[in-house]
Amino acid sequence: MTVLTFAKWIVGAPAWIASLPEGLQRLIFQFYQVFIYENRWKFFTDGLATTFIVTIGALLIGVVIGMIVALIRSTHDNQMRKPNIILRILNSICKIYVTVLRGTPLMVQLLIMGFVVMVPKTSFQTTLCAIITLGINSGAYVAEIARSGIMSINAGQMEAGRSLGLNYAQTMWHIILPQAFKNILPALGNELIALLKETSLVTVIALQDVTKAAQVIVSKAYTAVIPYISLALIYLVLVMILTKLLGILERRLRKSER
Amino acid sequence: MSDNVIIRTENLCKYYGDKIHALHNVTAEIQRGEVVVIIGPSGSGKSTFLRSLNLLETATSGKVFFEDVDITDPKVNINIHRQKMGMVFQQFNLFPHMTVLKNLTLAPMKLKKMSKADAEEMALTLLDRVGLKDRADAYPSQLSGGQKQRVAIVRALCMSPEVMLFDEPTSALDPEMVGEVLAVMKDLAKEGMTMVCVTHEMGFAKEVADRVIFMYDGEIEEVGTPDEIFNNPQSPKTPQFLKSIL
Ligand SMILES: Nc1ncnc2c1ncn2[C@@H]1O[C@H](COP(=O)(O)OP(=O)(O)OP(=O)(O)O)[C@@H](O)[C@H]1O
Ligand SMILES: [Mg+2]
Repeated sequence: MTVLTFAKWIVGAPAWIASLPEGLQRLIFQFYQVFIYENRWKFFTDGLATTFIVTIGALLIGVVIGMIVALIRSTHDNQMRKPNIILRILNSICKIYVTVLRGTPLMVQLLIMGFVVMVPKTSFQTTLCAIITLGINSGAYVAEIARSGIMSINAGQMEAGRSLGLNYAQTMWHIILPQAFKNILPALGNELIALLKETSLVTVIALQDVTKAAQVIVSKAYTAVIPYISLALIYLVLVMILTKLLGILERRLRKSER
Repeated sequence: MSDNVIIRTENLCKYYGDKIHALHNVTAEIQRGEVVVIIGPSGSGKSTFLRSLNLLETATSGKVFFEDVDITDPKVNINIHRQKMGMVFQQFNLFPHMTVLKNLTLAPMKLKKMSKADAEEMALTLLDRVGLKDRADAYPSQLSGGQKQRVAIVRALCMSPEVMLFDEPTSALDPEMVGEVLAVMKDLAKEGMTMVCVTHEMGFAKEVADRVIFMYDGEIEEVGTPDEIFNNPQSPKTPQFLKSIL
């Protein structure tokens, strides 16, 4: 693969570019080189697809794990009598899980999962490894968010549900969780945004996400400015869209109480 | 045992640590169709006793029989028995994320497998009786305190309970709203509902109660008809308490 030089490019460039000042020409050249030459924009779109898949996959795993852990922890803490042995063991496991996952850097967790535990070979396996690692990591944060949400609901709500004859699970599902969810939505949104940005760390297990795409282009085009600034803008726009969507969802949920 | 007894407690004790005896050896009976009012100073164990009846509070020792079943037995499925014991709380405890109608129909639909149409029809009929049919689609936050408590009473009634437990149902209300809630409770009593009611409304006790239980320091100090308690108390603590709340 040959490196495209400015001199080579300007010769074949459209006439209107030749009439521009040189500084602008060089800028356009850089854009050309980063996005258009050899269809390099495809690195970004492919990378974005991977970033989305990893974010959504990790989100799902994180929410499922987080909910389960939060339910175990708050059920344990809500017991009036001494909790039974199984619940106590589960609660301890959950506590350890949260402590370990929040107490070590995600980068290190990725290295361990990628090079010690899962050691993926194919790109599919690498994607899976990334999703699982980020999901397990996110679950620890979601668990604490969800637990605080459940705890924030007045004890009277549980009592009212139970006094009607609903069992613990029914009261949780129909009465506590819907209210808790509404309360924690902003925090969950923050976690989702953090998760999206943290997917950039999957480059350490050689996954071709959008960050990796920018790195690849830098190595091909011998210029860092446009690829990395573009990368930052891509994340920024994604986060802004997410923020907007979450705001709409929040307002919808709030409306039901007025 | 008389088959007219619906709830019976036997030596009910509730201790917090060694020092606090919220309940101490409370033995009592509630007859079917009877209105029992529980009075007593703050901290005397009224709420603890009431909440022990449907096991919202688990007693340290002692037994609670509901319709001759020992519901303090851990093998008993308490949820089935709670369906027959409606409870009304001081703080209403309506479900804020549901409309009034949904508040009322949730339990009947989940627990009695009522159809939505049947449950709503029953709920609207009962709502109408407390004068709130037009608020069926409102959310609890859109209601006044008195309206909230009337809805809360209807919510309990929707399960067609055998007995209604009230824990200071008017204490969180502005004075001008107390009357409307008491009126609903008087109607219920007139219809023959079995009621156990913790309240500071002595007017209600005198007018509606069949029996008054006076609690003091976690124990039943005195039980009697309103006339006996208010006009001819046996314990010196009774008139002392009554004077203090005037
Ligand atoms: N969770 C708890 N931990 C420790 N002590 C408690 C707890 N709950 C209640 N108590 C104590 O038990 C006693 C009885 O309380 P209870 O709420 O039954 O009184 P009450 O008669 O309903 O009073 P009030 O009129 O103020 O509602 C009080 O001394 C109270 O401080
Ligand atoms: Mg009380």
